Amino acid sequence: MTTQAGEPSDDAATRGPGAPPPDDRRPRSVYGVGEEPDIRFSLANERTALAWVRTGLGLVAGGVALTSFASLASMSGFVDVIAAVACLAGAGFAAYALLAWRRNERAMRRGEPLPAPTGLPVLVAGVLVLALLVAGYAVTEVWRT
Amino acid sequence: MTSAARDPGLQPERTALAWQRTVLGVVIGSVLLAAVNLRVGQPVLSVLAGALAVATLVPAVLRPPSGGLPRDGRLHSWGFLVRVASLVGVLGFLGAASAVVSLL
Repeated sequence: MTTQAGEPSDDAATRGPGAPPPDDRRPRSVYGVGEEPDIRFSLANERTALAWVRTGLGLVAGGVALTSFASLASMSGFVDVIAAVACLAGAGFAAYALLAWRRNERAMRRGEPLPAPTGLPVLVAGVLVLALLVAGYAVTEVWRT
Repeated sequence: MTSAARDPGLQPERTALAWQRTVLGVVIGSVLLAAVNLRVGQPVLSVLAGALAVATLVPAVLRPPSGGLPRDGRLHSWGFLVRVASLVGVLGFLGAASAVVSLL
């Protein structure tokens, strides 16, 4: 049992022998601040982050489906461009999931109100733009034939 | 710590299910990408996507990120979240690469 005697002692020393070991979880920017919230809130935050990951995954899957159709049905390269943008946007939302989790967990530990979900308007706008692009492509294809 | 008591809202169970469908989604996505690339004639991208599916599935089977309450009541979400987000990021880049390759 190492207790890191060189560290500036937290309240673990005052809690007595039955106390849990000091919290050394990473990232320290989250677990180093504030107090442990109700674990159900942490679980809910984890599920929210996973929902963002799945949103990004949905965008990636849509892009993969688009580029598959484009190559199997020999569609125009414009569809491939849309597919690549959707895939990269999905990767971006997976990264945003991590940022949002960290921000929310910090706010909960400090007892502050949760920050606004800044990724949400970006997501809505992005999905709207992608949908319009695909619809525009479909309309021009119908127009040409 | 009251971790022995069952949460009536079943939060740990819901979190475990959220993990499972996320991992399942990544696996299905990479298998699809591998199959499509095989069909289109891009064996390198196909192998990479297949490796991604294996890399997602094997750790999830060997050590499922259960989302259940640990004995000391301390969650270790960050490592698991970073891993699954990185897998989705890699899948996104593979998908984009496959779109760019078919564009060329």
